[in-house]
Amino acid sequence: MIQAVPMTTRADPTATRSALNEGYLTQPLFMGHGAWGPGRVVATLNLEGWTLQRGELTTGAFGEGYVDRRHPHSYIHELLGGIEGARSGVSASFFAGRGFVPFGSDDPMARPFEKYPVNHHLAQVLERIVAIGAVRRGPVILELSTFNGDEPVSPSTWPAWGRFGDSWSARLTALPFRGGELSASVADVASPEVRHGGGLDQWKRSVVARFDRMTTDTWRYALAEWAHTDERIQGQTVTSLTSLLAEGAYCRAGAVVGARIEQTDRPEEEQTLDPFRTPRPPIDLSNLGISRWTTATFMVSAPPIMYRVFSGRAFVEVARISVAPGDPPGLFNAQLRYGSSHMWMLSAGVRLRAGSMHGRMGRYGVANPADSLPSTGTHMHDMESHQMASSQRMTSSPPLFTPGNRCSL
Amino acid sequence: MQSLTRACLGSAALFLNVALAACTRDGPTPPIGILPTSCPGLNLGPLPAAVTMSPTTPAAVRILGNGRDTVRYQAEVAVHGNLAYTTSWGVRQVAGNKVSIWDVSGDAPVLVDSLIVIGATTTGDVAVSDDGSLLVVATERSGGSIAIYDLADPRKPQLLSRFNNEDTDPGVHTAEIGRVNGKLYGFLSIDPGGTGGARLVIVDLSTPSAPREVYNKLAGNPYVHDTFVRDGLLFVALWNDGMQIWDIGACGQGASPEAPRVLGTVQTVGGQVHNVWWYHDPNGSKRYAFVGQEGPGTVPTSSTGDIHVVDISDPLAPKEVAFYHVNGAGTHNFSVDEAHGVLYAAYYNAGVRALDIRGDLGKCDASQRDSVAGSNLFRCDLRLTGRELATGLTDAGRQVYVWGVDYLNGNVYASDMLNGIWKLGAAK
Repeated sequence: MIQAVPMTTRADPTATRSALNEGYLTQPLFMGHGAWGPGRVVATLNLEGWTLQRGELTTGAFGEGYVDRRHPHSYIHELLGGIEGARSGVSASFFAGRGFVPFGSDDPMARPFEKYPVNHHLAQVLERIVAIGAVRRGPVILELSTFNGDEPVSPSTWPAWGRFGDSWSARLTALPFRGGELSASVADVASPEVRHGGGLDQWKRSVVARFDRMTTDTWRYALAEWAHTDERIQGQTVTSLTSLLAEGAYCRAGAVVGARIEQTDRPEEEQTLDPFRTPRPPIDLSNLGISRWTTATFMVSAPPIMYRVFSGRAFVEVARISVAPGDPPGLFNAQLRYGSSHMWMLSAGVRLRAGSMHGRMGRYGVANPADSLPSTGTHMHDMESHQMASSQRMTSSPPLFTPGNRCSL
Repeated sequence: MQSLTRACLGSAALFLNVALAACTRDGPTPPIGILPTSCPGLNLGPLPAAVTMSPTTPAAVRILGNGRDTVRYQAEVAVHGNLAYTTSWGVRQVAGNKVSIWDVSGDAPVLVDSLIVIGATTTGDVAVSDDGSLLVVATERSGGSIAIYDLADPRKPQLLSRFNNEDTDPGVHTAEIGRVNGKLYGFLSIDPGGTGGARLVIVDLSTPSAPREVYNKLAGNPYVHDTFVRDGLLFVALWNDGMQIWDIGACGQGASPEAPRVLGTVQTVGGQVHNVWWYHDPNGSKRYAFVGQEGPGTVPTSSTGDIHVVDISDPLAPKEVAFYHVNGAGTHNFSVDEAHGVLYAAYYNAGVRALDIRGDLGKCDASQRDSVAGSNLFRCDLRLTGRELATGLTDAGRQVYVWGVDYLNGNVYASDMLNGIWKLGAAK
């Protein structure tokens, strides 16, 4: 699969205390996956390091040294190899490489909205050297992983190899009914922001409810999540950050409408001359308080224009953003920082794609509910027509991204 | 004499040479002092005197006046003569690229001029050379540097040079200056970069218009935030790697700023070693170094981190012997009135704290001790031993967040991130 999203964003106001209009080529991806017997490989090459070096204007976003911009991802976004097998109704997989840690919800890139939610760094842990073991029995999936705590320093920087194994996560998923999914996860992430270690650790928890059901001409999707991160040092909690998010989308005849509401805490860090950057790594263990972001986003997407494997889907997103001091408020002052506590973002673009995405970014092997191993009686996914499932026996490609389906994103 | 005899025996049991004359009434009187065999050139002076005090309610240091600045967050303060120089931090209404020059001859500091350091987000540290001829300012971000000013007219500093290179990237957190064998050096604590670690850079400032790097070393885990240089010893604050003592000429064994030699390291309780002051007691004792711990906090409401007292009698094996803790607040930079044995500590949201640090700080009753879980370390609690003399700015009538203090000639000057500079009376 190849993807790119040319788009523009107007943020009014944003960190410059004024309105800002920008254009990008965002989410440029090369994605592939393969299977040889029990062997699996998953790869995603992300070129945002070239196209999005300054970050994507996303008021409220934070992480990896960016603030009010979403950071570019690593060139090697995912590169994992694994094996899968099943016996006596129990399937298991083991994957290792660079990719998503089994924690929280799917990567926003694989969800209906182009703009990332503010909670990206509370609800996902990504681009780590990770080893993941997963077992599935019937409707229950358990994943355990160990990985390096340090987050990427830049799109081209390798992780600190010596830190592999200093962090771990676990996720338990239940599939109670067709298209429904409940998961709870925890992660202990050592010093993510200070590559050499010694920075604040993160103790993360997440609960996610997800619904996803598609027919030949419709698609219904909903997700609700609670994510919480305690920043800790020497076992003592320093800062608590919470996020609540709910989003949904409905597609009919190729047109998609969606809405998302979230309230997320953001740690405030020292400002630099560039209002969209924070010192990285931070130079001590303190922060300037917490801000609380409430963002309502609405999106509408036109039916895709399709030609062979190519598709183009135009979209518009509008976000209304409110920010208030959190707990503790610290020095945060929305008027001083933004000139207002209420902001807008308007985005428009076209999602260009050739081929299909491998769907559930953040779940590998049998941890992907769409995985075909084994045939346990639980619906492997929710394609009511079954026209794809019976013929392709996909290993990691849910119908959400089925080629040829006009509701596929 | 009894306590001195006990001390002699104790010192002999260690590897310290205490002059025999201290234990006998006969013969000529050679210099009495702790002479560590590991550092022959170093004389740590006599043993500290026994001082017994009782805890009392600390007095309030008198507030004399405030020089207000709410445009930038204040950072460090250095006072020379009737002038105080304060630096600035981060971005408030504007970036912290300014050094304010205050006339502090009256009760309320009066802003008389300022310097703008181009490209800096933070001018976090400032120091005046011992001869009053130079002002050195550390800058962070945009590469990191030190800016060196001529103080021929202290009210109108003139930029002599700006030193930066790949080793000062991404920022110079602090720049301490000190003289070693008559030559002036700068000791620069460099922030860690994205992939590179923190480091210590030593710069020869003998020609201030052309500073020259003479040494650099990766140092600190993950930070090195400050140093303290005196009498040929360099004390390096290595965060979770503790406090390290470097010989840069004190021991007379060939070490220098160009070729330092590590003597010893102490892991103070809790790590996060931020700053150091090697104290010279009025009786000549030089046994204790004071270590500031900078724990996590939220500006401007909370902070954490204790003061740790380290006995350096054996520079190869320094040992923590006492501490001072304030509930809900943590320490930052120090300044010491050595003539009166009073340490002033910036305490962020708790203002300023003054401690009586004269005499022996490592002796206390069992009820005044704190044991450290998992070790056989016992530390005297300076609050319980009655060393807490006074508090400052707790009655300022507004929220304060004190970054630095500087004691000079009977007054204490405090740089308050939120409010500018305060002039206080000395602790009584």
